[in-house]
Amino acid sequence: MVAPGAAAKDPEVTYKTVEAKHFTRVEGVELSPAFTDYLYAELRNELGKTKLFAQVVGEGEAVEDADAANSVVIQGVITEYKKGSRAKDAIIGFGAGMRSLKMDVNVTRRSDNQDLGAIKVHVKVSPRWNEEVMAKGAAHQIAHEVKNALKEKAKG
Amino acid sequence: MAQRGVTEAKMVSHRFALMSARILLACALPPCAGRADEPKPTPENTIHIQLAAPVPPQKFAKAPKFFISEVIDRSGNAQPMLVLRERGGVFLDRPPTEIAREAIEQSLKSAGLLAADAASADLVLQIYVFHFGLAQGSGLDFFGKVEFSVMVKNVKREESQQIEAKGTSIANAAIRKKNIQKNVQANIEGALEDAVRNLVRGTQLREAVASLMKDSPNAPAAAPSGDLAVAIGDGDRGKRFESRDEKR
Repeated sequence: MVAPGAAAKDPEVTYKTVEAKHFTRVEGVELSPAFTDYLYAELRNELGKTKLFAQVVGEGEAVEDADAANSVVIQGVITEYKKGSRAKDAIIGFGAGMRSLKMDVNVTRRSDNQDLGAIKVHVKVSPRWNEEVMAKGAAHQIAHEVKNALKEKAKG
Repeated sequence: MAQRGVTEAKMVSHRFALMSARILLACALPPCAGRADEPKPTPENTIHIQLAAPVPPQKFAKAPKFFISEVIDRSGNAQPMLVLRERGGVFLDRPPTEIAREAIEQSLKSAGLLAADAASADLVLQIYVFHFGLAQGSGLDFFGKVEFSVMVKNVKREESQQIEAKGTSIANAAIRKKNIQKNVQANIEGALEDAVRNLVRGTQLREAVASLMKDSPNAPAAAPSGDLAVAIGDGDRGKRFESRDEKR
């Protein structure tokens, strides 16, 4: 387990800190309040695993001015959630009746709020699995996409 | 015929006795079974939670002295020391309020921001613990969550501001009971450290301190009266003069 906040000793480390904020949700998205907390925790855990950041700081934590230019903030909005149908999943299969979650994620630089990438994430899981498993999958995908976006940005 | 009637009567009474015995057994069993399922704290299933190292707080422009007046449990949990019910249970050795107080005090003390008492403090903290322990996770891992709400009070100016701090940690699940305890302990310690860091290094605390300490003199904020503070000051000065005279 990579503890959030722990410094990663890896040559791949490019950014000093990353701050993941709790994702907001648009009106009409029916998810439990615990889901956002779990997604936030999983996202921090997954961001630590990318080894791209020296430290994963909590929401609202102060970052030293010297590190701000080399720090990243991740914000997101849950735009759509479909809870799926167990019956359709069992009878039809082939992806019918799956739970679906759509999110818009923005990656910005802490010092000047410069946009480092806008990512659209779409996660589909079986309706037999609970919300937390879906959050786990979503966090893994977000961390992966963020890593790719930041690497592309660094190259370009 | 009479013999048959007697035999039937005997069988009926036998059946009745069996039925009543079953009913009695059914009535007697559930409370016993319930009691067996209810975990009890023992030295084997009790864990000790503490910070591995104090969390260094952020640097303030004018370092205030904090004092933790009280820590209140607002989790609404009837058994706050029971963190995991399954597999014989996992218990904390102290109440969450005590653990939280120790962790925050330890961190503030490490940076010299902890006052000895409320009278010598610039700001008094009243901490409400909203969650301490495990929360509902995916089932594939343990999800630790610690949540505080802190009322920062400037006693002298009678102003206060509320801030929040949250810490999370995710640890792998385990099968063996020994590993479950180890993972749960590491998980809660991780969440506690995260929550304390979120509090003492948070921008919310910085803003609250800046707002509550605005235009405040360097003198202790909670001095009982201005006269007493002046009297103490004069006494000190007097001593200093004496020592200078002695040197001369």
